[in-house]
Amino acid sequence: MNHTDDTRKTSGWLRMITYLLRHRAIGLFLFIGLLTTVVSWINPAFLSGQNLRDIAVQAAPICIISCGVMLVLVAGEIDISVGSMMGVLAASMGIMVSASRAQLPPHVAIALTLLIGIGMGLFNGLLVAYVGVPSIIVTLGMLTALRGLTEIIMNGAWITDLPDEIRFLGTGTILSIPLSLWTTACVLAVTIWLIHRTPIGRRIYATGSNPQAAQLAGLSIKSIKLFVFAWTGLLTAVATLVSVPQLSVVDSGIGIGTELLVVTCVVVGGTSVNGGVGTLSGVLCGVALMTMISTVLIFLKLGEHATYWSRAIQGLFILGAILADHWISNHKK
Amino acid sequence: MKAIFLRILSLPETFLSCLIITLFALISQLDPSFLQWEVQRSLSSHIWELAIIAIPMTLIILTAGIDLSVGSIMSLSAITAGMLFQAGSSMPLACGAALLTGTIGGFLNGFFIARMRVHPLIITLATMATYRGIAEGISQAKPVSGFPAGFTRLGQDEWLNLPFAAWLFLIMFVSVFWVIHRRALGLHVYAIGNNDTASRFSGIHVDRILIGLYTFSGFASALAALLFVARRNTAKADIGMGIELGVITAVVIGGVSIFGGRGTLVGTCLGLLLIHETREFVSWHWNRDEFILIVLGLLLIVSVVFQKLLRHKQNSS
Repeated sequence: MNHTDDTRKTSGWLRMITYLLRHRAIGLFLFIGLLTTVVSWINPAFLSGQNLRDIAVQAAPICIISCGVMLVLVAGEIDISVGSMMGVLAASMGIMVSASRAQLPPHVAIALTLLIGIGMGLFNGLLVAYVGVPSIIVTLGMLTALRGLTEIIMNGAWITDLPDEIRFLGTGTILSIPLSLWTTACVLAVTIWLIHRTPIGRRIYATGSNPQAAQLAGLSIKSIKLFVFAWTGLLTAVATLVSVPQLSVVDSGIGIGTELLVVTCVVVGGTSVNGGVGTLSGVLCGVALMTMISTVLIFLKLGEHATYWSRAIQGLFILGAILADHWISNHKK
Repeated sequence: MKAIFLRILSLPETFLSCLIITLFALISQLDPSFLQWEVQRSLSSHIWELAIIAIPMTLIILTAGIDLSVGSIMSLSAITAGMLFQAGSSMPLACGAALLTGTIGGFLNGFFIARMRVHPLIITLATMATYRGIAEGISQAKPVSGFPAGFTRLGQDEWLNLPFAAWLFLIMFVSVFWVIHRRALGLHVYAIGNNDTASRFSGIHVDRILIGLYTFSGFASALAALLFVARRNTAKADIGMGIELGVITAVVIGGVSIFGGRGTLVGTCLGLLLIHETREFVSWHWNRDEFILIVLGLLLIVSVVFQKLLRHKQNSS
């Protein structure tokens, strides 16, 4: 009797842990809650409105781009060019609106920036879908080439004189909530609608989980792949528009390393690199966790030397997520 | 006859050789002084660290894997050597510890990849952040310099007119070339890249080979880190930042398929030569570093597209 009770209890625990790990969003959400409780217990200032707002504003561009990159991963491809795309977009936006350069009206510049973003995404997508070059090669090449293009556009100069209309995109508030958070909410809403309410969302998942079956079912895999890359390009442009005007200077180093942070967030959020698997809620929690680490380290009052460990902790979180996946596949019944 | 001719023509090595010959012809028209032996030798010092890491990277990509953590292993090894030296240990001991650190780092990559069957891209993305993070944490992002002359000489000394690093690369290349083309292990590496599952059923020790390759990659990265530290006389946590992209670019331009099973070490060497000469010539002749990035990025995409078209032509004829 006793013995059976024990096993049932253990397997109940196991089942709960496995459930939490499998439903990545719930597990991550509980973990974030735990982390927040511990940090705010040590330092109550962590829960102040100002600090939460700072974390959210910092996470906003990463979150916007992650919505695109997640769909690219779900479709079975990868995009590591977003960091350099941000560089090109920031540089061209800066040149277009700057009072000492092209002096285009802000709305024209915004439209052009979005178009350039879509254009770069389409270029990636065309090479991947229609020429058949592996996406990691295309986007690796673009990561290198577009960074060079950014340096040529900027030509060693800085841009500091952005007009007020553009500055408003980064620093403005509506109902005392920053504009970048409104934009993030819109992007999330559109992505949810795209995934759950339109055929294309289902088609992206179908393409990633079984390309042959999707092809046989009459889906155009090529246009679906083209779409996810173009969508990522567009979202990168949106992220650039709401985040770059927060900076006091536009230089050629904007966006370096963003691609790694974004892929990390998406993967920690439970998206599979093999395609077909990924939820927006998981990605959202991944973004929240990854972007709060450095702030958490500061608020834990461990001293200045602790902040240098933030990258190591980020890496350990990814390893933890991988171990969790491994655990699930071993306990799948 | 025509088939054989087409086959030779469609080899990536042939295509690359043509590109390299074109490049040299172009250089001799634009600026013949670049081709002097002295200039070439002094510019070559930048390439050897990349070349040493490219050897294990070729083997790893042949098994359909990838190692993004090489730059971070470089950083961790360099910091290990630097911190130990600063703490007063002797230089040979510090170097030994650095090589050991790199080897362990590579082993852990291989262990996770082989045992957990996780995509190498994800595992090495994670260790890429972790290793560099540890290096930043223990060094607090401060540089260590003032290494003894006996050590820094490793980075500058020449033997028979070639730098020490070049000899290390040559020894490594010849021995790996021999193993790949004259031992069963070489066939196994290609087999894993072509079909992992079939290789397992054929009795190939896939896990053991993968762990071995990633460990070798870690060791080579540590070696490259020591050469870099000796050349610059500084160890800092940002060493090797982005080198993985350069190495992967060289290997892929060299005709190694990112899906595994196809490519050669000779191709990788040609890829390295093409990248190196292009990069150095652009910065020598135009003195504009930003062009280098554009040229390298486009070279990567264009060469893969060309290789794909050539293979397509060969298959259809």
